[in-house]
Amino acid sequence: MTTHTERPAAPAPTRPAATWSAQIRPATTRTLPATLGSQAFLLLLALAFLAPVAWALISAFKPATQIISDPLGLDLTALTLDNYRRMFVDVPIGQGFLNTAVVLVVKGAITLFCAPLAAYAFAKYRFPGRDLLFGTVLITLMLPTIVLIIPLLLEMKALGWVNTYQALILPGAVDAFAIFWMRQVIADVPDELLDAARVDGAGEFGIFTRIVLPVIRPALAGLAVLTVMNIYNDFVWPVVAASSERMAALQVVLSTLAQNITGNRVGADYATVTGELLAAASIALVPLLIVFIALQRHFINGILAGSVKG
Amino acid sequence: MSVLASPGPVQGGVRGRTGARPLLRPWLPRKVAPYLFVLPFIALFVAFSVYPMLFTLRLSFTDWRGSGAAQWVGWDNYAYLLGNEMFWGSLGNSALLWLMIVPVQVVLSLLIAVLLNNAKIRMRSFYRIAFLVPFVTPLVAVAQIWVVVFDQNYGAVNGLLNILGLPDVGWLTTTAFAKPTLALLFLWKTTGFIVIILLSGLQSIDASVYEAAAIDGASRARQLRSITVPLVRRTLMFSVVLQTLAVFQMFAEPFVVTDGGPYNSTTTAGLHLYEHITRGDLGTGAANSFLLVVVVMGLSLVFVRLLRTED
Repeated sequence: MTTHTERPAAPAPTRPAATWSAQIRPATTRTLPATLGSQAFLLLLALAFLAPVAWALISAFKPATQIISDPLGLDLTALTLDNYRRMFVDVPIGQGFLNTAVVLVVKGAITLFCAPLAAYAFAKYRFPGRDLLFGTVLITLMLPTIVLIIPLLLEMKALGWVNTYQALILPGAVDAFAIFWMRQVIADVPDELLDAARVDGAGEFGIFTRIVLPVIRPALAGLAVLTVMNIYNDFVWPVVAASSERMAALQVVLSTLAQNITGNRVGADYATVTGELLAAASIALVPLLIVFIALQRHFINGILAGSVKG
Repeated sequence: MSVLASPGPVQGGVRGRTGARPLLRPWLPRKVAPYLFVLPFIALFVAFSVYPMLFTLRLSFTDWRGSGAAQWVGWDNYAYLLGNEMFWGSLGNSALLWLMIVPVQVVLSLLIAVLLNNAKIRMRSFYRIAFLVPFVTPLVAVAQIWVVVFDQNYGAVNGLLNILGLPDVGWLTTTAFAKPTLALLFLWKTTGFIVIILLSGLQSIDASVYEAAAIDGASRARQLRSITVPLVRRTLMFSVVLQTLAVFQMFAEPFVVTDGGPYNSTTTAGLHLYEHITRGDLGTGAANSFLLVVVVMGLSLVFVRLLRTED
């Protein structure tokens, strides 16, 4: 992908109003108290949103018995890595990470190539069968994913794919939402841009790779982050299709641990398992948090670029 | 790169009247291209979405239990479900959860989005990250955090209540509180995403509209009601439909946090569907899923209409 297009993209909507607005706006002193109130409201709400995750990250370093005897207290001198140590011994979390990583790379690549390409065809070409096909895509968007699990599982059994990477990668590799979203985005790319490239002799696929992809890059970045999240966080299908210890994805490993608690299978060990669970949950969410914070600008801008406009 | 991708020498200067038609025949004819482009997607889509969907549809008219020969039973599964208390109960639970989630979420998200769209607010990128943190964290992990934090005996929330001198609450163990606690999890997890979607709608409104209103002396509240809400109506509608789908399909949250209890008070429509499957009653499960699709589609159409007719 080139870093710039030969042709300028559609000009960003300019807001000439912004330059003179400062002179017309009422004096800031009048709006200051209101802004302070909003600021306080946002701050409290943001802290409430961060609190559960922060609590888990911190509690994972507390001795297991303290997590349940004093959930809100924090004894800095007692902090320990015991929960992590025990968790690494009891839980095959390394294998879970590895499996998730393999699926993430292959499935992510398939999604990011196939979804925009198909969406480009839906948005910019007229061909017989297009509307029927796109209508089917929209219907699957409404169908609960659990519905497809049984027939999919039977399909995997018939193919001999249960507990394989294929089973984790291929179903859902190009989901309906990705197509729907990318079509929306590509429809906004001006036709003149594509026609101009055509006049210059670009082939249909060349137009896609050299014009469409660079122009929609912000939305593409958004799709990339969303795809990584979805694959990383996927749980229901991996549990059904590949739950053997060798093939279990990270979330499956995590849920197995969790079911020991909800299923009351731990008895007196409640504290130990809770500690291990918080350590495992922390380690599972930290990579994604890092990816998200590093790429948040792309993700947020991507969604801003790609959503339905008011 | 552009040289490589060009199919041949470009005949400059000789352009058609519209100037939009290539004179050379590219290696990939324009009529064939779209089919090739959708092919990879179609292959995956047919194999792993359309085929299972049709399989499920056929299954819904049989009494198949996972092995042996399937017996065609016509509309029996549908008739059974429509007369079944558990089915209606699960729909009712989902409807109550919808009531606890969607109106609150729409108002709260719009409020946050409007505030984040105001250039006078400081630390806006911090807030955008903070609100999205729950959205990006794995559901299984946060659902587990919910179980531990809302535990009746050892949970942090009851610990906080005790400090304030209040008694313990059975957040996940009483029918009165289990649904709101689950709704709170869902709200907490997804509100950040809705905020960003609404923010995208807000940013497409030209700033001059507000300036004109401010000159005319319209208050902030008045501007919100008369300018913002009407102009982001489509974005709002999109969010409501998206969340309606999500709430009625909600499965993993109750599955991990409450397993449908206590007394089925958190058995959502999605979870009830799964229960047929675990019992091996695949035909009924399939019928249940299509009834759910009808409900969800109907609701989506109602919202689309409700939010459109006021234009």
